[in-house]
Amino acid sequence: MDEVLSTARELIPSRLREWKESGGHVVGFTCVATPRELFDAAGILPYRVRALGKPERDRADAHLSRFNCGFCRACLQLALEGAYDFLDGLVETNGCDHLRGMFENWQEAVNPGFFHYLKVPHLVTEESLEFFAEELELLRESLSNHFQVEIGDAALSEAVKSANSRRERMRRLFSLRERENPALTGQEALAVLLLESSLPPAAFDDLLENLLQEAEGREIGGYRARLLLAGSATDEPDLVREVEDLGGLVVTDALCYGTRAFWKLPEVEGEPVHALAEAYLRHLLCPRMFDDYPSRLQFILQAAERARVDGAVLVYNKFCDLHGVENVRLRLDLEERGIPVLVLEKEYGSTADLGRIRTRIQAFLERIGGRGGFRKHASSAGLGNL
Amino acid sequence: MNKRGRDTGDGLFRRAEELIEVALQLPRGMSDQEVEGLLHLLPRDTSRSMRALLSSRFREVSLDFIAMIGGWIREARRAREEGRKVVLVPFNFPPEIIYLFRNAVPLTSEVLTTLGVSMLEGQGERYWDYAMGLGIPDFLCSSSTIELGSVLTGRDFEPDIIVQSAPGACDANSKIHEFVSLHMGIPQVILEKPTDSGPRGKELHRRYFLGFIRRLEEMIGEELKEERMREVLEEANRAAELYYELYDLRKFSPCPVPNIFSLFTYGARFTRWGRPEGTRMMQSLVDHSKRRLETGEYPAPEEVARCMWLYIGYYFDFLGFFNWMEERGITYLNDILSLCQPRFVDTSSRESMLEGLAESCFEYPMTRQMGASSMSLAWIEDMCGFIRDLRADCAIYSGHHACKQTWSIINQVRQEILKRTGVPVLCLQGDSWIRRMTPTSVLQEEIESFVENVVRRRRRRIGSSA
Repeated sequence: MDEVLSTARELIPSRLREWKESGGHVVGFTCVATPRELFDAAGILPYRVRALGKPERDRADAHLSRFNCGFCRACLQLALEGAYDFLDGLVETNGCDHLRGMFENWQEAVNPGFFHYLKVPHLVTEESLEFFAEELELLRESLSNHFQVEIGDAALSEAVKSANSRRERMRRLFSLRERENPALTGQEALAVLLLESSLPPAAFDDLLENLLQEAEGREIGGYRARLLLAGSATDEPDLVREVEDLGGLVVTDALCYGTRAFWKLPEVEGEPVHALAEAYLRHLLCPRMFDDYPSRLQFILQAAERARVDGAVLVYNKFCDLHGVENVRLRLDLEERGIPVLVLEKEYGSTADLGRIRTRIQAFLERIGGRGGFRKHASSAGLGNL
Repeated sequence: MNKRGRDTGDGLFRRAEELIEVALQLPRGMSDQEVEGLLHLLPRDTSRSMRALLSSRFREVSLDFIAMIGGWIREARRAREEGRKVVLVPFNFPPEIIYLFRNAVPLTSEVLTTLGVSMLEGQGERYWDYAMGLGIPDFLCSSSTIELGSVLTGRDFEPDIIVQSAPGACDANSKIHEFVSLHMGIPQVILEKPTDSGPRGKELHRRYFLGFIRRLEEMIGEELKEERMREVLEEANRAAELYYELYDLRKFSPCPVPNIFSLFTYGARFTRWGRPEGTRMMQSLVDHSKRRLETGEYPAPEEVARCMWLYIGYYFDFLGFFNWMEERGITYLNDILSLCQPRFVDTSSRESMLEGLAESCFEYPMTRQMGASSMSLAWIEDMCGFIRDLRADCAIYSGHHACKQTWSIINQVRQEILKRTGVPVLCLQGDSWIRRMTPTSVLQEEIESFVENVVRRRRRRIGSSA
């Protein structure tokens, strides 16, 4: 697990470097509405753009502004510094206003080579599903033309099968995290997901197999409370570690870089492009979708119940309109059902903000301590620093 | 009175309604002395706005504007009493669509906010603070959150239906409307704008629009009638003709159109389009401007700057903003809202009218620019076109802090405008509806310094080289 944690902190893990060195293509994307199967079928590695808590954004701020989300500013900063030069292209999605601004500036300031805008509807209707299926066809065509690869239905169906199987194994792994004696920490779980979207598929599949075997006999103990962590673009395993260092074990999540990326995606069956459109749009558990709040609430409630959490931390980056507003409603709905909630607004990647975050987490754990009690679990592989 | 039958009187709508009722009693032809006497009776914040509106330069037009807004407010009240539906719409939605229904009236969130901020003592701050108290983040847009904060108190006039038309164009606007709908149990109906300006995006939007109309028909309980549609849209077309006449009048220098007429223009567009009241308002704006053109009347010794406001203005101090600039020869040519460029709708059939309205929604201000495939491209092209057409010699971006889309691309926009038109752009920063963030004095200093140091010098340079 230590290796997983350290590899997840690297923007370019060694297996990705090897992929590039052997002539493999890598295309960046940010939004979970982007079906990785299309890339897998083309033999292209889809890489989920991340900033890993990078605090600097001086260069990005010459393009974006201080009223934009720190995550997007940090990603752009990395692009402007050349850290993303290894990407052979970029797929934009209209995830939110900040992301759109980030992509427009990225495209303008750094030539990403291949650039494609995948337009994702905000509603699920017959019309929008049809439109999204066409969008996926256009992406397939665009990838195929630029990279000179055939992406036939057979290859796509094969990629769909592999992705189905991978997601099934990931659900198994993550279930082990939610059990009475959790097998992995929240920090580790987030690290695994970061690797899922940065490693070549075969490398990740091997890692997943090993992790499943390792996790079976593993138990985390010594924590004060079981927490659910939900919210906006959080690709910072170190932030989760901060929470866990204080005694709040993140046993489940509803994060954009977390379980929301795969948990609800059904087995994709049938004609591949339409099936992918249906699966990805219908299960896009993001507050950018409208008329769909009940599904998102349900997803969180189910996770909270499965993982028997003592409380929920709803986190969002400063200036995130989508999660900032959504969290108000979620707090009211969760509290009404007896789940204590901490809404945590944070400045992305800011170490200066850590003291305040720690204080708030500590106070929250104190508050719910009386309810959940101080849990002492027999541990065979505890969190050393808890 | 809200739906639950309470009539507590401390919500934004009710308080603004009371003041408007008083303002509606103001007689025509007041002398300056009478106005001065009246202003002394009013609370400080109300008095300041009324001082701006009742300026002798356009007093009678302001009274027309008050009459139009007063009628709009009264109609909503009456509709509630008569059992018709009150539909809360956002600014980026053509209100004439609601006027197509006999049994519904529109109320526009952002116009109510502006009304509250300009008329009420304490402006809209208590409603904003209430929303913050619920946990709504402080970076949300005050334009809608002030009015919706008032609705959230449960002590104000509650709409029967909420229309949302910003998904795709503005997250802040969409989310707060969705939140109010969920929190207050008010049904919402959504019109999405695909962020695709091409034919596929337009076609999807057209289909969304037709579905949206069907849903509205169900919720209002009334099927659209072709005759009524034609009546409303012909009226809207008449107002559009006057809009373009006013637009052309702005091309003269010195500009005969008073600065505050931008606000009056979208006040009409966002509340009474498709109704005779809106057309009359536009007629009044045109007549007054024409008269000024004929008489050569201008409030300053010379027009020192013709300024295109790239985005929106500031609405918490009409006197310190619109009037102050005008008295210094700084013309507020237009902003993104007053550049709404209304479409002429073909009224030959029900289908053509629906097509025309769908296009109006697609091309509505901000939706057209920030909701396009590229957030910057349409904005740059539109603004460069208007700068050339209206012979602007400077541009200002108001930098409303909640507008993340425009903040994220303003650097590109500024550079492109300078490159394509040679016009310098000043970027301000503040909240357009809350005075706490950047006070008027700071905005004035920045504008003055920009005009003195950049615009005047540029004019001299161009003059000498010519």
